[in-house]
Amino acid sequence: MHQVRLQIKGSDEARYSYSIDVQISAVLQYWSKPKNYPLFIRSVPVQNELKFHYTVHTSLDVVEEKISAVGKAMADQRELYLGLLYPTEDYKVYGYVTNSKVKFVIVVDSSNTSLRDNEIRSMFRKLHNSFTDVMCNPFYNPGDTIQSKAFDSIVSAMMVQAS
Amino acid sequence: MAQCVQSVQELIQDSFVPKVAVLCSEDAQKITRKNNLNFSELLRPFCRLTSEGHMRDSNNQVQVVKNLRISVNNVVTRPSVPTSGVHSPAQRRLLSEVVSASQPAEGGVANVITAGDYDLNISATTPWFEAYRESFLQSMPASDHEFLNHYLACLLVVSSSEAVPVEQFLKLSQEQHMIQHNGEYTNPKWFIPNTLKYYVLLHDMSQGDEQRADSVYEDMKQRYGSQGCYLLKINSRTAAAGTDEQIPDPWSQYLNKSSLQSQVRNPAMPCDESSNRQSINKGLRFNHTTPALTLVLCGRSCKLLDYKGKHSCELPSDKPTRRAKSLQFYTGVAAGTSHGACLTLNDHNRLRLFIQEFTFRGLLPHIEKNIRQLNDQLVSRKGLSRSLFSVTKKLFGGGKVPEKSIAELKNTSGLLYHPEAPELQIRKMADLCFLVQHYELAYSCYHTAKKDFLSDQAMLYAAGALEMAAVSAFLQGGAQRPYPAHYMDTAIQTYRDVCKNKVLAERCALFSAEVLKSQAKYSDAATLLIKMTSEDSDLCSALLLEQAAHCFINMRNPMVRKFAFHMILAGHRFSKAGQKRHALRCYCQAMQVYKGKGWSLAEDHINFTIGRQSFTLRQPENAVLAFRHILTNDSQQTATQQGAFLREYLYVYRNVPGVCEVALPQLPLPCINSSATRVYFGHERRLAEGEKQAATHVSLDQEFDQDLAAVWQDLEEQVVAAANRGVVPSTFYPTQCCLNSQTDNLHFPLAVVEEPIIVEVAFRNPLKVPLVLSDLSLLWKFTLKDFSRPQPQDVMVGDAVTITNEKEAIAPRVRKGKGGIPSVCKFLTFSLLSWQARLKLLPRQTGQLTILGLVYNLASTPSTGDSTINSNSPSVRGRQDLEIQGPRLNQTKEEKTSVSHGPDRRLDPTITPPMPLLEVFFLQFPTALLCGEIRKAYVEFCNVSHVPLCGLRVASTHPDFFTFGSSSLATPLTPLSPTSFENCSAYKTLATPPGATPGSVTAVTLVSAADFGSGGGGVFGTGGKRVAEIPLGEGTLTPGESTQLPLWLRGPDQEGVHEINFLFYYEGAEKGGKISHRVLRHTVFICASRSLSVRATACRSNTLPEEEGRNGSMLVFVDVENINTSEAGVREFHIAQVSSSSKQWRLHKCINPAENKDCKLTTRERGKLCFRATRCKPHEATSKSLEKYTFADLSLGNEQIISSTTPCADFFFRRCQSSESWRPLIAVETQGRHSRSQGAGPGGGAEDITGVVRKCNEVDLDIIVLWKAFVVEDNKQVILEGQLHVALQTIGKEACSLRQKEEAQEMVLLKFKPELPPPMTRPSMEQLSHLIKTNLHYPESYSHSFVQKSLCMIPVILTLSNCSLAQVDAIIDLRHKTTSPESLEVHGSFTWLGKTQYKLQLRAQEVMRLPLRAGFLHAGVYNLGTPRVFAKLADQGAMCETSQQTATPALIIINST
Repeated sequence: MHQVRLQIKGSDEARYSYSIDVQISAVLQYWSKPKNYPLFIRSVPVQNELKFHYTVHTSLDVVEEKISAVGKAMADQRELYLGLLYPTEDYKVYGYVTNSKVKFVIVVDSSNTSLRDNEIRSMFRKLHNSFTDVMCNPFYNPGDTIQSKAFDSIVSAMMVQAS
Repeated sequence: MAQCVQSVQELIQDSFVPKVAVLCSEDAQKITRKNNLNFSELLRPFCRLTSEGHMRDSNNQVQVVKNLRISVNNVVTRPSVPTSGVHSPAQRRLLSEVVSASQPAEGGVANVITAGDYDLNISATTPWFEAYRESFLQSMPASDHEFLNHYLACLLVVSSSEAVPVEQFLKLSQEQHMIQHNGEYTNPKWFIPNTLKYYVLLHDMSQGDEQRADSVYEDMKQRYGSQGCYLLKINSRTAAAGTDEQIPDPWSQYLNKSSLQSQVRNPAMPCDESSNRQSINKGLRFNHTTPALTLVLCGRSCKLLDYKGKHSCELPSDKPTRRAKSLQFYTGVAAGTSHGACLTLNDHNRLRLFIQEFTFRGLLPHIEKNIRQLNDQLVSRKGLSRSLFSVTKKLFGGGKVPEKSIAELKNTSGLLYHPEAPELQIRKMADLCFLVQHYELAYSCYHTAKKDFLSDQAMLYAAGALEMAAVSAFLQGGAQRPYPAHYMDTAIQTYRDVCKNKVLAERCALFSAEVLKSQAKYSDAATLLIKMTSEDSDLCSALLLEQAAHCFINMRNPMVRKFAFHMILAGHRFSKAGQKRHALRCYCQAMQVYKGKGWSLAEDHINFTIGRQSFTLRQPENAVLAFRHILTNDSQQTATQQGAFLREYLYVYRNVPGVCEVALPQLPLPCINSSATRVYFGHERRLAEGEKQAATHVSLDQEFDQDLAAVWQDLEEQVVAAANRGVVPSTFYPTQCCLNSQTDNLHFPLAVVEEPIIVEVAFRNPLKVPLVLSDLSLLWKFTLKDFSRPQPQDVMVGDAVTITNEKEAIAPRVRKGKGGIPSVCKFLTFSLLSWQARLKLLPRQTGQLTILGLVYNLASTPSTGDSTINSNSPSVRGRQDLEIQGPRLNQTKEEKTSVSHGPDRRLDPTITPPMPLLEVFFLQFPTALLCGEIRKAYVEFCNVSHVPLCGLRVASTHPDFFTFGSSSLATPLTPLSPTSFENCSAYKTLATPPGATPGSVTAVTLVSAADFGSGGGGVFGTGGKRVAEIPLGEGTLTPGESTQLPLWLRGPDQEGVHEINFLFYYEGAEKGGKISHRVLRHTVFICASRSLSVRATACRSNTLPEEEGRNGSMLVFVDVENINTSEAGVREFHIAQVSSSSKQWRLHKCINPAENKDCKLTTRERGKLCFRATRCKPHEATSKSLEKYTFADLSLGNEQIISSTTPCADFFFRRCQSSESWRPLIAVETQGRHSRSQGAGPGGGAEDITGVVRKCNEVDLDIIVLWKAFVVEDNKQVILEGQLHVALQTIGKEACSLRQKEEAQEMVLLKFKPELPPPMTRPSMEQLSHLIKTNLHYPESYSHSFVQKSLCMIPVILTLSNCSLAQVDAIIDLRHKTTSPESLEVHGSFTWLGKTQYKLQLRAQEVMRLPLRAGFLHAGVYNLGTPRVFAKLADQGAMCETSQQTATPALIIINST
């Protein structure tokens, strides 16, 4: 379903990126082409937020690397889910890129074994759907930080579920 | 990894060089000491061989040795120290000093790397890292498992001045032997048991006997062979002589490093003798406290160590004195000239030659020999040992423990071999090969050794072999063998995990990373480097992380963010390691990536760190800058964090020396919204003074309203035009008392001297913590200018601190008033609140003032969070400039395409000479009025300036609201009539003559409108309708004078709240000033409540004109309804009088005189009055030329109000003016409507038809209804008076005192196409039907004897009266029969006899009689009104022949007798 929606929205202009961090988790987005700035960030243990921000920001390098690697082969029907970007000592970082180059990043506590690849994938899909809804809002100015309540609640629900 | 000066090959080669020890006799040392050097130092610059060496390998093949370097060192002996895997504290300190000494050059090379959208400014080289690496490699302790840094040879140096040099040689030789074989010292380590001894005879050319030296040398040759000894002649010039000769100093670059290392403590010291001395001192200290230190400081301090060490065994008790002596000695030398003072270039060459000779004759052959030996050993043993091992392995089932290890100790790193163990021989050979650049052989040897060690589980040895195998494989070059990266990895892992030797692991990692880098495997290198970071050494981790970061940025696809992240990590480690400068640099580089990308948390963190580091490094400017960023950006931090940032910032600020004294610093907080700054010129006005109510004027408390401003500007324009005889001067510029962002600020505002200027500044606190501001004041600049002769004088900047002094001290100029709110000197601005401060300036002289900014103290509240201000909380004095950007220009194309802003001169007022200043007060000014109510109030004008005032005028949006009366008609107040009401009536009244019947005409007055128009003190000036001149006594108000004038007010006709604006205009007596005029604004709000509603209709009377002897008369019906809803307040209304005012008509008499005298109306009652109006005969002829109004008063009470005087007439005329404006509009509208109903038709000449036609229906009669209302107010009865106006325009059409709101205006559809212009201009049928008035004259009843005569003929006269002013053609058709069924029923009909159709022409206003005869056949009642009259204007075609309105039914009774 979201494939169709994306076509509607989708120009090949790469525009946003977005990331989520579920460590017990945080969600993030950024504007990819011009600046890669965050559209939405959320992390559940707030006390160490700075570290997550750094982690997510750093992961963009890997995301870009993966995109450029995949992009050449099959530009059109590539997998949106990028899989595990890289593991650090404490966290696993997963990535997802929409066709419009909005990036989603989820950072999960590596001790959290309940989250397997499939769960992460479905989380991304949910996130993407919700993000599409945000974009469909005619009052949303693309590129602004996301302040949608619906989106917020979906992310919160996901993070609660994940933790 | 950053770029390095050396290539990888060079680096590795230089890291592993043959080492040569030096033993010197004391005399020889003295010789070298003359040059401020010891022997090893003397040789050091020449240790790299420029020529190629040759040697033969075991296969007798010639191997070329290129670019070989040897390392010459003094022998430093020390007791056995267990080699640990970590650095000693002293080593660490040294390394850290090395690193901190090496800083990036100021403004040095920084290349820009563009990665994606990032442009990063990164220094490509990292000299500190290289310095660290060099130091690190040099400080590698010699270990047992490798031989690369073991001494291969020993130079024995003896002076030729010695008595018996040969004996000295022997002594030294013995000493060397003792050191090597005594077992007392494990350091230094020696490569091979029989170390090469090279005998050097040092000859001092300047003092020694050369021949003797030669002979001794000959002797030596005999003894040691020509290959093993050398005569070195140096010091061929005396230190004193030949200073003119410039000799290069090759030592400095080798020796400076050591002095640099010691300089770190005191960077200010210049790098010459003084620093040398210091380094010596330090060397001594090292010596004393840490005897275990090895070769830490190369150079003199190093020498000192071994000097000390050599003798310490002999003279342990003598220590203090010796040290003192040596100190003396060194300082003496150090105080002399620089290095190599006694050496000529020739000597340099000799030294170079010596090294070459030594290497090629002594060292290389020695190595060659040893390699061959070892090779032979190995070959001979190989067969045996291999077979033996394999057999034993088979027998014992892969027994792990080889025979040698049984006796050895086992430690964590595996086995320890005896130094002469056969397993080590192969390693030794490999090392030898490696040193002489025979990498291929070295590799194979290492490879073999590795296998052996591994099988023995001697992990340390194996790791060493692996490392070297990898390195030599790499150095082989070519594509012979791929670089075995995994060897390195295994080696590192083994070193670190199995052997716990961090130092070796680090060395290995450094090489590995360098090699990987050279192969462009940056990502691997980065991983490796990151893996090597540990908690143990912050410095090392920091450097490695930084290199890793450089690896990321150097990748083919630069990983900018990873670079930034690792830079931050590196910066963090640097700061932990105390390397503040490096930490700061790292953070700054990382900042480039994070800056402005929305990663606010990270950005804040970096900024905060940068700020802190900068502050500790005494770079307060940068610190302040960084902190500003945190505070000014919209911070996402928590309140406590923000509070901490703020305190830190203030602390930094206060501790910045000298900043506050020189110039006040710019403070970042709170945010000043410059564009919201408002400037007010003039005093803060009193709003009320006792009963007096001051004019509201403008104040800062009012919000700016664009529409209102336009209204005021319009009023001002009108009044200025009125003052300038109807023309607005080109220099006119609307007065603006209060400037803000929406006003037009292109011009310099004008301020008057001695009148304050109030500046309102808007602050906003972006933080979540409160800020404390105190001692606010303005910062300004003033240029004195006398406007008569402009001459710029001194510019002085007022400082807040000196205000009070300024008053007396500096002569006149401008003095600053107190701060806006003097009683409060501290403000708290709470989080995210906006807040305004008002500051006042009082200019004392004319000139040009510029307000620059604000000065204030900024402090934070104590962290406890309570808002009480304690006085000693730290505060910072600083300033913020007010820079206002003007509106964006968008006029020309250039301006549209670019972003440019116009000027904003809000803060640059020009101070002009004094101007008059008016104050206006109102007395008894009501706030609520009934509609139409007349009230008298007083207004007081007061000139409060020192300059006379004149030309006082007033303009208003509601000119019909007030009047000052007409002075020309001002007669002394009428004596009150006996029956007048108790309160003083606003009207002028006359008692009615007793006999007169109420309702009859009592007075008719003729008044010219001009009397109320432009007469002296008249209502309306020539310039604009809304402008009135105010009748001042002499036309001027002298300073301090005040005048009271009466003012009549009339409640607006519309109910509701009305906002009424007055604009008082006045000028100074002197013309030609900068300010031509000044204005004062006043706004009142009047609440009007409903009173009476008057409707009036005019009917044409049907009586014949002749009857009354006049040309016209009319009936006027006046409906009066009390629509007041407040029953409690207003008890009843009395209609006191009805007056008329018109140019042509006047009220003649009241037709229905009521029973009671007054017409009383209580709530919701209604009454009808009927009046007859007649034309004003006497003026008929001249009415057009003489625009005089006839006022006729019909008093219904017992007193007559003279309506033709003030204020009644004033308001009447004012109302006319305002209503005239809408009258034509209605006309056009009605015409439009008619045209549509009439349809198309030729419209030629239709204009005048319409006019003509309308004219005949027009009445121009205004009815003034004067009423009195009995109102109960505070249990007292009050009588209010008022007047209502009704304008009758058309006969038959009802007019109302309340202006009907046009329905059409309520919802006007937006039309995009202009409507077609009304093609109409044709009068309507209805209008045309009024052209002719008809009248039938006949006897009312007639008796006729039908018996006698069957036909009864009765003469009837039809009177036709042309109402219009044009010729009218009329057709009278008598045959016309009514077709209505009703008339058919009437039995019997009559016939007109005679001519039954007439065609007549009537001139303007002509009355024509037409005799007719009617014939009746029966008796009965007949309606004679059957004639139809069709009329058309004479000059028109047949088009508009219209049937005229029939007269009322004309009944005749025919009686039959």
